[in-house]
Amino acid sequence: MHPTQPASAALVPITTDTPIGFTLIGVKKKAAIQLMGSRLWGRFNPNHWDPVYAAQTGLKAPIQTGEMSSAYIAEMCVNYLGANFFRRARIACKYVASTYANEVITTHGVVREKTPKGAGFRFKLEVWTDNEAGEIKTTGWVEADVGV
Amino acid sequence: MNHPNVRTDELRPMTPVQVQQTREFVDTLASESQTYWDMVEVGQVLSRELHITPELVILYADAVEDFNPWYEGWRMNTWHIPGESPFGPAIVPPLLVSHFVLSVQFDHTKPFAIGSIHTYHDSEILEPIPVGARVRINARATEKFVKRERRYVRHEITVEDCASGLLYFRETRDILSR
Repeated sequence: MHPTQPASAALVPITTDTPIGFTLIGVKKKAAIQLMGSRLWGRFNPNHWDPVYAAQTGLKAPIQTGEMSSAYIAEMCVNYLGANFFRRARIACKYVASTYANEVITTHGVVREKTPKGAGFRFKLEVWTDNEAGEIKTTGWVEADVGV
Repeated sequence: MNHPNVRTDELRPMTPVQVQQTREFVDTLASESQTYWDMVEVGQVLSRELHITPELVILYADAVEDFNPWYEGWRMNTWHIPGESPFGPAIVPPLLVSHFVLSVQFDHTKPFAIGSIHTYHDSEILEPIPVGARVRINARATEKFVKRERRYVRHEITVEDCASGLLYFRETRDILSR
Protein backbone atom coordinates (compact mmCIF):
# COMPACT_ATOMS: atom_id res chain seq x y z
CA MET A 1 0.00 0.00 0.00
CA HIS A 2 2.56 2.57 -1.13
CA PRO A 3 1.33 4.88 -3.88
CA THR A 4 4.16 5.55 -6.28
CA GLN A 5 2.65 8.04 -8.71
CA PRO A 6 3.19 11.75 -7.97
CA ALA A 7 0.06 13.78 -7.28
CA SER A 8 0.64 15.78 -10.44
CA ALA A 9 0.71 12.76 -12.75
CA ALA A 10 -1.90 12.73 -15.49
CA LEU A 11 -4.59 10.09 -15.36
CA VAL A 12 -3.41 7.14 -17.47
CA PRO A 13 -6.27 4.67 -18.03
CA ILE A 14 -5.66 0.97 -17.52
CA THR A 15 -5.09 -0.79 -20.83
CA THR A 16 -3.90 -4.25 -21.80
CA ASP A 17 -0.34 -2.88 -21.52
CA THR A 18 -0.72 -1.75 -17.91
CA PRO A 19 1.72 -3.69 -15.72
CA ILE A 20 1.16 -5.39 -12.38
CA GLY A 21 2.12 -2.91 -9.68
CA PHE A 22 0.58 0.07 -11.47
CA THR A 23 -0.69 2.50 -8.88
CA LEU A 24 -3.90 4.46 -9.36
CA ILE A 25 -4.22 8.03 -8.21
CA GLY A 26 -7.33 8.03 -6.05
CA VAL A 27 -9.95 10.60 -5.18
CA LYS A 28 -10.01 12.61 -1.97
CA LYS A 29 -13.26 13.51 -0.16
CA LYS A 30 -14.27 15.08 3.10
CA ALA A 31 -16.91 13.28 5.17
CA ALA A 32 -19.19 16.30 5.33
CA ILE A 33 -21.99 15.94 7.85
CA GLN A 34 -24.49 17.64 5.54
CA LEU A 35 -23.88 15.03 2.84
CA MET A 36 -23.77 12.11 5.29
CA GLY A 37 -27.20 13.08 6.57
CA SER A 38 -28.84 13.84 3.24
CA ARG A 39 -32.17 12.14 2.63
CA LEU A 40 -30.97 9.72 0.00
CA TRP A 41 -27.95 8.66 2.07
CA GLY A 42 -28.04 8.59 5.85
CA ARG A 43 -31.02 10.63 7.04
CA PHE A 44 -33.02 7.53 8.05
CA ASN A 45 -30.26 6.39 10.43
CA PRO A 46 -29.06 9.04 12.93
CA ASN A 47 -25.78 7.18 13.42
CA HIS A 48 -24.82 8.86 10.17
CA TRP A 49 -25.47 12.46 11.17
CA ASP A 50 -26.51 13.02 14.79
CA PRO A 51 -23.65 13.36 17.32
CA VAL A 52 -25.96 12.68 20.26
CA TYR A 53 -27.41 9.43 18.89
CA ALA A 54 -23.98 8.31 17.69
CA ALA A 55 -22.58 8.79 21.21
CA GLN A 56 -25.46 6.78 22.66
CA THR A 57 -24.50 3.85 20.44
CA GLY A 58 -20.84 4.05 21.42
CA LEU A 59 -19.48 6.01 18.47
CA LYS A 60 -17.17 8.98 19.01
CA ALA A 61 -18.88 10.84 16.15
CA PRO A 62 -21.43 10.19 13.39
CA ILE A 63 -20.09 7.74 10.83
CA GLN A 64 -20.40 7.87 7.10
CA THR A 65 -22.33 5.06 5.41
CA GLY A 66 -19.85 2.53 4.08
CA GLU A 67 -21.51 2.82 0.70
CA MET A 68 -20.13 6.33 0.36
CA SER A 69 -16.60 4.92 0.61
CA SER A 70 -17.50 2.26 -1.94
CA ALA A 71 -18.81 5.01 -4.22
CA TYR A 72 -15.50 6.85 -3.87
CA ILE A 73 -13.60 3.69 -4.79
CA ALA A 74 -15.96 3.13 -7.72
CA GLU A 75 -15.30 6.68 -8.94
CA MET A 76 -11.56 5.94 -8.95
CA CYS A 77 -12.20 2.69 -10.82
CA VAL A 78 -14.30 4.42 -13.47
CA ASN A 79 -11.50 6.96 -13.91
CA TYR A 80 -9.06 4.16 -14.75
CA LEU A 81 -11.22 1.39 -16.17
CA GLY A 82 -13.87 3.48 -17.93
CA ALA A 83 -16.58 1.45 -19.63
CA ASN A 84 -14.86 -1.77 -18.52
CA PHE A 85 -16.11 -1.16 -14.99
CA PHE A 86 -19.75 -1.40 -16.08
CA ARG A 87 -19.78 -4.90 -17.56
CA ARG A 88 -18.57 -8.18 -15.98
CA ALA A 89 -16.79 -6.24 -13.23
CA ARG A 90 -16.66 -7.07 -9.55
CA ILE A 91 -15.95 -5.04 -6.44
CA ALA A 92 -15.75 -6.23 -2.85
CA CYS A 93 -15.34 -3.86 0.07
CA LYS A 94 -15.01 -4.49 3.77
CA TYR A 95 -15.53 -1.55 6.10
CA VAL A 96 -12.79 -2.30 8.62
CA ALA A 97 -13.02 0.98 10.53
CA SER A 98 -15.57 3.75 10.76
CA THR A 99 -15.24 6.92 8.73
CA TYR A 100 -16.11 9.78 11.06
CA ALA A 101 -17.60 13.15 10.23
CA ASN A 102 -15.03 15.66 8.99
CA GLU A 103 -12.39 13.07 8.19
CA VAL A 104 -10.70 13.42 4.81
CA ILE A 105 -10.74 10.13 2.95
CA THR A 106 -8.46 9.16 0.08
CA THR A 107 -8.96 6.13 -2.13
CA HIS A 108 -6.07 3.99 -3.32
CA GLY A 109 -5.62 1.20 -5.83
CA VAL A 110 -2.83 -1.00 -7.13
CA VAL A 111 -2.94 -3.54 -9.96
CA ARG A 112 -2.13 -6.88 -8.32
CA GLU A 113 -3.00 -9.48 -10.96
CA LYS A 114 -3.42 -9.62 -14.71
CA THR A 115 -4.80 -12.85 -16.12
CA PRO A 116 -5.05 -13.48 -19.89
CA LYS A 117 -8.66 -13.65 -21.03
CA GLY A 118 -9.86 -13.64 -24.63
CA ALA A 119 -8.00 -10.93 -26.53
CA GLY A 120 -7.17 -9.08 -23.33
CA PHE A 121 -6.82 -9.53 -19.59
CA ARG A 122 -8.81 -9.85 -16.42
CA PHE A 123 -7.27 -7.29 -14.06
CA LYS A 124 -7.42 -7.56 -10.29
CA LEU A 125 -6.80 -4.48 -8.19
CA GLU A 126 -6.30 -4.10 -4.49
CA VAL A 127 -8.28 -1.06 -3.30
CA TRP A 128 -8.59 0.73 0.00
CA THR A 129 -9.34 4.03 1.66
CA ASP A 130 -7.55 5.79 4.47
CA ASN A 131 -7.77 9.03 6.40
CA GLU A 132 -5.21 11.81 6.73
CA ALA A 133 -3.41 9.89 9.48
CA GLY A 134 -3.05 6.89 7.19
CA GLU A 135 -5.55 4.81 9.15
CA ILE A 136 -7.17 2.23 6.88
CA LYS A 137 -10.97 2.50 6.71
CA THR A 138 -12.03 0.28 3.84
CA THR A 139 -10.24 -2.63 2.18
CA GLY A 140 -11.21 -4.55 -0.88
CA TRP A 141 -10.51 -5.64 -4.39
CA VAL A 142 -11.82 -5.03 -7.88
CA GLU A 143 -11.84 -7.17 -11.01
CA ALA A 144 -12.53 -6.03 -14.55
CA ASP A 145 -11.93 -7.20 -18.10
CA VAL A 146 -9.78 -5.00 -20.33
CA GLY A 147 -9.51 -5.60 -24.06
CA VAL A 148 -11.42 -8.86 -23.83
CA MET B 1 -27.88 6.76 28.12
CA ASN B 2 -27.38 10.51 27.94
CA HIS B 3 -24.10 12.08 26.92
CA PRO B 4 -24.30 15.59 28.36
CA ASN B 5 -21.03 16.62 26.73
CA VAL B 6 -22.25 15.86 23.23
CA ARG B 7 -24.29 18.58 21.55
CA THR B 8 -26.71 18.18 18.67
CA ASP B 9 -25.19 21.24 16.98
CA GLU B 10 -21.52 20.44 17.47
CA LEU B 11 -20.89 19.52 13.84
CA ARG B 12 -23.08 22.11 12.14
CA PRO B 13 -24.61 25.39 13.21
CA MET B 14 -28.20 25.26 14.51
CA THR B 15 -30.61 27.52 16.32
CA PRO B 16 -32.47 26.17 19.37
CA VAL B 17 -35.47 25.54 17.12
CA GLN B 18 -33.42 23.33 14.80
CA VAL B 19 -31.96 21.47 17.77
CA GLN B 20 -35.45 20.81 19.11
CA GLN B 21 -36.69 19.63 15.70
CA THR B 22 -33.68 17.33 15.38
CA ARG B 23 -34.16 15.77 18.80
CA GLU B 24 -37.85 15.20 18.11
CA PHE B 25 -37.06 13.54 14.78
CA VAL B 26 -34.41 11.23 16.25
CA ASP B 27 -36.67 10.31 19.17
CA THR B 28 -39.36 9.30 16.68
CA LEU B 29 -36.94 7.07 14.76
CA ALA B 30 -35.54 5.47 17.91
CA SER B 31 -38.87 4.78 19.59
CA GLU B 32 -40.36 2.98 16.62
CA SER B 33 -37.55 0.73 15.47
CA GLN B 34 -36.74 -2.93 16.09
CA THR B 35 -33.24 -4.34 15.71
CA TYR B 36 -32.24 -5.55 12.27
CA TRP B 37 -31.58 -8.99 13.73
CA ASP B 38 -35.19 -9.22 14.87
CA MET B 39 -36.67 -7.78 11.69
CA VAL B 40 -35.15 -10.35 9.34
CA GLU B 41 -35.79 -14.10 9.14
CA VAL B 42 -33.35 -16.40 7.33
CA GLY B 43 -34.94 -17.57 4.11
CA GLN B 44 -37.05 -14.45 3.80
CA VAL B 45 -37.27 -13.20 0.22
CA LEU B 46 -38.28 -9.61 -0.46
CA SER B 47 -38.52 -7.81 -3.76
CA ARG B 48 -39.23 -4.26 -4.85
CA GLU B 49 -39.26 -2.26 -8.03
CA LEU B 50 -37.19 0.90 -8.33
CA HIS B 51 -37.53 3.53 -11.04
CA ILE B 52 -34.08 5.03 -11.45
CA THR B 53 -35.06 8.49 -12.51
CA PRO B 54 -32.51 11.07 -13.67
CA GLU B 55 -33.17 13.11 -10.53
CA LEU B 56 -32.52 10.10 -8.29
CA VAL B 57 -29.16 9.60 -9.96
CA ILE B 58 -28.25 13.25 -9.42
CA LEU B 59 -29.21 13.05 -5.74
CA TYR B 60 -27.03 9.98 -5.32
CA ALA B 61 -24.02 11.27 -7.25
CA ASP B 62 -24.02 14.79 -5.82
CA ALA B 63 -23.77 13.51 -2.25
CA VAL B 64 -20.60 11.59 -3.09
CA GLU B 65 -19.36 14.45 -5.27
CA ASP B 66 -19.10 12.29 -8.35
CA PHE B 67 -19.67 14.62 -11.28
CA ASN B 68 -19.00 12.20 -14.13
CA PRO B 69 -21.13 13.44 -17.07
CA TRP B 70 -21.97 9.85 -18.04
CA TYR B 71 -24.53 9.87 -15.21
CA GLU B 72 -26.36 13.03 -16.27
CA GLY B 73 -29.87 12.45 -17.53
CA TRP B 74 -30.77 15.73 -15.88
CA ARG B 75 -28.87 18.96 -16.12
CA MET B 76 -29.65 22.33 -14.57
CA ASN B 77 -31.32 24.78 -16.98
CA THR B 78 -31.82 22.09 -19.65
CA TRP B 79 -33.47 19.57 -17.24
CA HIS B 80 -34.18 16.17 -18.79
CA ILE B 81 -31.60 15.15 -21.38
CA PRO B 82 -30.71 11.77 -22.92
CA GLY B 83 -27.14 12.19 -21.79
CA GLU B 84 -24.06 10.51 -23.18
CA SER B 85 -21.94 7.58 -22.10
CA PRO B 86 -19.84 4.90 -23.81
CA PHE B 87 -23.04 2.86 -23.98
CA GLY B 88 -25.16 5.56 -25.64
CA PRO B 89 -27.43 7.55 -23.30
CA ALA B 90 -26.65 8.30 -19.67
CA ILE B 91 -25.98 5.36 -17.34
CA VAL B 92 -26.35 4.80 -13.64
CA PRO B 93 -23.26 4.99 -11.35
CA PRO B 94 -21.88 1.47 -10.88
CA LEU B 95 -22.89 1.03 -7.23
CA LEU B 96 -26.09 3.07 -7.12
CA VAL B 97 -28.37 0.05 -6.97
CA SER B 98 -26.28 -1.37 -4.13
CA HIS B 99 -27.26 1.63 -2.05
CA PHE B 100 -30.96 0.95 -2.57
CA VAL B 101 -30.69 -2.71 -1.63
CA LEU B 102 -30.97 -1.67 1.99
CA SER B 103 -34.58 -0.63 1.36
CA VAL B 104 -35.40 -4.16 0.23
CA GLN B 105 -33.62 -6.18 2.92
CA PHE B 106 -36.38 -5.75 5.48
CA ASP B 107 -40.08 -4.99 5.55
CA HIS B 108 -39.92 -1.36 4.45
CA THR B 109 -43.43 -0.68 5.73
CA LYS B 110 -41.96 -0.93 9.24
CA PRO B 111 -39.64 1.71 10.73
CA PHE B 112 -35.99 1.33 9.76
CA ALA B 113 -33.73 -0.56 12.20
CA ILE B 114 -31.62 2.42 13.18
CA GLY B 115 -28.26 1.71 14.70
CA SER B 116 -27.44 -1.05 12.21
CA ILE B 117 -24.27 -0.73 10.13
CA HIS B 118 -23.36 -2.03 6.68
CA THR B 119 -20.02 -3.86 6.97
CA TYR B 120 -19.29 -5.72 3.72
CA HIS B 121 -20.35 -6.19 0.12
CA ASP B 122 -19.18 -8.32 -2.78
CA SER B 123 -20.81 -6.90 -5.89
CA GLU B 124 -20.87 -8.01 -9.51
CA ILE B 125 -21.59 -5.26 -12.00
CA LEU B 126 -22.84 -7.31 -14.92
CA GLU B 127 -24.35 -4.80 -17.35
CA PRO B 128 -24.65 -1.00 -17.50
CA ILE B 129 -28.02 0.30 -16.30
CA PRO B 130 -29.51 3.11 -18.37
CA VAL B 131 -30.79 6.15 -16.51
CA GLY B 132 -34.57 5.90 -16.47
CA ALA B 133 -34.61 2.12 -16.14
CA ARG B 134 -37.09 0.34 -13.92
CA VAL B 135 -35.30 -2.40 -12.03
CA ARG B 136 -36.42 -5.11 -9.65
CA ILE B 137 -34.27 -5.62 -6.56
CA ASN B 138 -34.57 -9.09 -5.04
CA ALA B 139 -33.14 -9.76 -1.57
CA ARG B 140 -32.87 -13.16 0.10
CA ALA B 141 -31.76 -13.42 3.72
CA THR B 142 -29.29 -16.31 3.74
CA GLU B 143 -27.62 -16.28 7.12
CA LYS B 144 -27.52 -14.81 10.60
CA PHE B 145 -24.22 -15.17 12.41
CA VAL B 146 -22.36 -13.91 15.44
CA LYS B 147 -18.72 -12.91 15.10
CA ARG B 148 -16.71 -11.45 17.98
CA GLU B 149 -19.95 -11.04 19.92
CA ARG B 150 -21.52 -8.98 17.17
CA ARG B 151 -24.66 -9.99 15.27
CA TYR B 152 -24.66 -9.97 11.47
CA VAL B 153 -27.31 -10.63 8.82
CA ARG B 154 -26.24 -11.72 5.32
CA HIS B 155 -28.28 -11.23 2.13
CA GLU B 156 -27.94 -12.35 -1.47
CA ILE B 157 -29.15 -9.76 -3.96
CA THR B 158 -30.07 -9.63 -7.62
CA VAL B 159 -31.10 -6.61 -9.65
CA GLU B 160 -32.80 -7.12 -13.00
CA ASP B 161 -34.55 -5.01 -15.60
CA CYS B 162 -38.31 -5.04 -15.08
CA ALA B 163 -39.08 -5.09 -18.79
CA SER B 164 -36.43 -7.37 -20.28
CA GLY B 165 -35.37 -9.40 -17.27
CA LEU B 166 -31.72 -8.57 -18.00
CA LEU B 167 -29.61 -9.26 -14.92
CA TYR B 168 -27.71 -6.07 -14.15
CA PHE B 169 -26.19 -6.69 -10.75
CA ARG B 170 -25.58 -9.33 -8.10
CA GLU B 171 -24.35 -8.89 -4.55
CA THR B 172 -23.61 -10.53 -1.21
CA ARG B 173 -23.77 -8.12 1.72
CA ASP B 174 -23.58 -8.09 5.49
CA ILE B 175 -25.30 -5.82 7.98
CA LEU B 176 -24.19 -5.50 11.60
CA SER B 177 -27.27 -5.36 13.82
CA ARG B 178 -27.63 -3.56 17.12
